[in-house]
Amino acid sequence: MNDAALKTDTQEIVVDEVFPHAPETIWKALTDGELIGRWIMVPTGFEPVKGTYFTFQTTPAGAWDGVIHCQVLEVIPNERLSYAWKGGHEANVGYGAPLDTVVTWTLSRVEGGTRLRLVHAGFITPTNDSAFKTMSGGWTKVVQKLGTVAGGLH
Amino acid sequence: MPRAAPLDAVMRTLADPTRRAVFERIIRSGEISVAELTHGSGVTQSAISQHLRSLKQAGLVADRAQGRNVFYRPERMGLAPLVDWMSHYGVFWRDRFAHLRNVLKEIDP
Repeated sequence: MNDAALKTDTQEIVVDEVFPHAPETIWKALTDGELIGRWIMVPTGFEPVKGTYFTFQTTPAGAWDGVIHCQVLEVIPNERLSYAWKGGHEANVGYGAPLDTVVTWTLSRVEGGTRLRLVHAGFITPTNDSAFKTMSGGWTKVVQKLGTVAGGLH
Repeated sequence: MPRAAPLDAVMRTLADPTRRAVFERIIRSGEISVAELTHGSGVTQSAISQHLRSLKQAGLVADRAQGRNVFYRPERMGLAPLVDWMSHYGVFWRDRFAHLRNVLKEIDP
């Protein structure tokens, strides 16, 4: 196992939807602390300023207190916002496992509204994979086997 | 969602019980020839080949020709679209997008 093999085993989650609102409106929902709290989670210390550290409190798991540590990485008003999203503890697998990820929001004006694209990147498979725990029966074996095939992170 | 197409393909492909059984046998074997897959399956080779084509199109298996035999193995990360969809953050963010839609409706009716 080398660095290249490890690198290829990070995954990203992409959600991409069009909203019937202007980019400026969506930007507000992404960057106003009170509004963020109404649809993501209540942030502590968020400012849409590069370098700012902030946190989200989520459900603790084992030795992890449930705090997600974020830092604003990029701010291009009405276009792009990204922040680091870190948390978890080494003793956990699946939910609560160590996370060193980046959340990026990209807004683009389209006819009748705005396309909002979320990329949450940097998940390590299978460590960060709740599905490894939640899949039952045959699928657990299938996925474990696939993990072995995928280059053996065990 | 841009991932919807591969996810649709994976789910549609695995929705067929016979095809799923073929896929599971490939996973269990690591690598297996079409002849071996057909043997003892109770299904004709042409039916097996058709299932293999679907599995390959969905990105679930890869093939390798050796002489007159074709061998199939699981495709690396073939189930990734399904795993993403089921993962904690996959569910989390889709859920958050739904909340966002409601918040936007309120602040910008």
